[in-house]
Amino acid sequence: MTQSDPIFRLEGVTRRYGDLTALDGIDFVADDNAYIALLGPSGSGKTSLLRVIAGFETPDAGRIWFQGRDITDLPAHERGIGFVFQNFALFPHLTVFENVAFGLRNGAQTLSKAELTDRVRTSIDMVGLAGLEDRNPEQISGGQKQRVALARSLVMQPKLVLLDEPLGALDANLRERMQIELRSIRERLDVTFLHVTGSETEALAMGDKVAVLDAGRIIQYDTPDTIYDGPVVSDVAKFLNRFNLFDGTFKEGVFSGPFGALPVSNARKNNSDTYAIRYDRTQVFDAHDANLPGPALPVRFLASEYLGSSIIFLFETEGQKTVEVDHHLSLGEPRHLTVGERYTLSWDPEQAIVFGKETAR
Amino acid sequence: MESKVLKPILAVYVGLFILFLYGPFIVLGILSFQQGPEGGPQFPIIEWSTYWYRHLFGLTPPSRIAPLPVGEALVRSLTLAFMTMVTATVLGVMAAQAFRKRFRGAGIVFYLIVLGMMVPGVLTGLGTSLLANNVVGVERHWWSTAFLAHVVYTFPFAFLVMLAILNRFDGSVEEASWSLGVSPMKTFRKVTFPLIFPGVLSAMLFAFTLSFDEFPRTLFASGRDQTLPLAIYGTFSVEIHPNIFAFGVMTTLFSFALLAVYGILMGLSVRRAKKMAMQEDIA
Repeated sequence: MTQSDPIFRLEGVTRRYGDLTALDGIDFVADDNAYIALLGPSGSGKTSLLRVIAGFETPDAGRIWFQGRDITDLPAHERGIGFVFQNFALFPHLTVFENVAFGLRNGAQTLSKAELTDRVRTSIDMVGLAGLEDRNPEQISGGQKQRVALARSLVMQPKLVLLDEPLGALDANLRERMQIELRSIRERLDVTFLHVTGSETEALAMGDKVAVLDAGRIIQYDTPDTIYDGPVVSDVAKFLNRFNLFDGTFKEGVFSGPFGALPVSNARKNNSDTYAIRYDRTQVFDAHDANLPGPALPVRFLASEYLGSSIIFLFETEGQKTVEVDHHLSLGEPRHLTVGERYTLSWDPEQAIVFGKETAR
Repeated sequence: MESKVLKPILAVYVGLFILFLYGPFIVLGILSFQQGPEGGPQFPIIEWSTYWYRHLFGLTPPSRIAPLPVGEALVRSLTLAFMTMVTATVLGVMAAQAFRKRFRGAGIVFYLIVLGMMVPGVLTGLGTSLLANNVVGVERHWWSTAFLAHVVYTFPFAFLVMLAILNRFDGSVEEASWSLGVSPMKTFRKVTFPLIFPGVLSAMLFAFTLSFDEFPRTLFASGRDQTLPLAIYGTFSVEIHPNIFAFGVMTTLFSFALLAVYGILMGLSVRRAKKMAMQEDIA
């Protein structure tokens, strides 16, 4: 992507509800014409952030810039930012056509009847709902409602659309199809999508960029593969749900954890000492195998979970901590494991990421 | 075991309740068909007739019994009830809308509004008239002081109805409308109002019926020209004839007609969508 102006920018945006700080001085510069996924666990403030950008709520401090203009004090209806709700929020008393036409009919601009009809039809066609124009919202399925909500927003030709967990109310099958469609619809239009989700798979699959939100702060904003390979703090690694995380102590270049003490060449600054190794980079060995690629972690086998393309093995350490190993089936048949038996887990220490209160070197 | 004893008891209880609810009206209804002009407001029925209904509309030959002086009072009461209905509903919707945001002092204001319903009506009426006469110094009329008393009386009911409706109202459709560039005023007209309309109808019905047969507040506050309940009460002090009963039946039927209109409007706003669903299926 070429260097371009930010579509929107947040400067120290803070939002409090009584004693609770939902947004804690967020600074953020968004890429133009991109699909941005905003990943955060529940309670991280991701919906608050969206509502503040949309203008449904005012920040207690900070400024919001949109297309080079300060919109902090602008009411929602003058911002020109689209919003897609998790519950779709279709107008139940209007048909699909009238739902999509709503903004054109009742907004500030006046269109000729032909132009209005034309734009509404184009929008309805784009989301694949042609033929359903005269239905009422209660007569269409969840996936169709989702499309109406999207068409209703896009017909206004916004430069930014905020999507609040748009796939949360859909079943798994439909969710995957909508993921692909949302991406392709966005690519056809010159528009930025800011898609809020609590699902790390969704965020990594959909975003050109992923922003990770935790406790009211954006702790990392990068491409999905950069985030996947290099979470900047242990919390990001935790949300990604792809890492075995071990607590321990990190001192003078040595990390001591349940697998013993390891010299560590590089550590990232963090608020706790944590050792992270990806599920698919953790390997299983016999209990007394001497030929290990790295540290030895004694575990007991609990269960396995077949996922089609891979198998997840669940183990338990002596400290009752659950550890996962993701074995991709393209790497060959997995070894047979007996429930309750003891094994040793190991990995290449070069592939581990160490977070420490003090950094190495 | 328990239900075998409990069920019949409850059934009898419900039966008695309904009897006491409709008993008086049934008795009045029967007596309104008493023979006239000699027949009085008591059993037995001398002979069934529609004399008192005809008497009501001045269709009987003149007799010693004067026609019921309710014509003007009826018009007055209908006008007053209509004015009250419109005003109280508008205020009720606005107030309930305000309560969707927790403004400062919302709790206190809420209790002040609702506790107003507990003040005895006679005192409110007396207070209103004293206020008008002695403090402000204006004359009392059914369309001024009594109207004020009626609005104050019916407003909390309209407010509570709308509050219940708006409590269940999902505000995200309004936010969706704003995000489409539609101003809050227009959003209210095009989205909020159509969706809360059934509630508005209920509030209107409450306000109208409460105002239409309001007695204690109107007694002191209405001044010279009487409203219908006062006019009816006035005829009691002379002598009671079955023409009152005939009139009672007529006004009750009117109320039922009003309820029917309410029911139809309500049904229409709910059924419109379903009807369209059926057309789709046939097509």
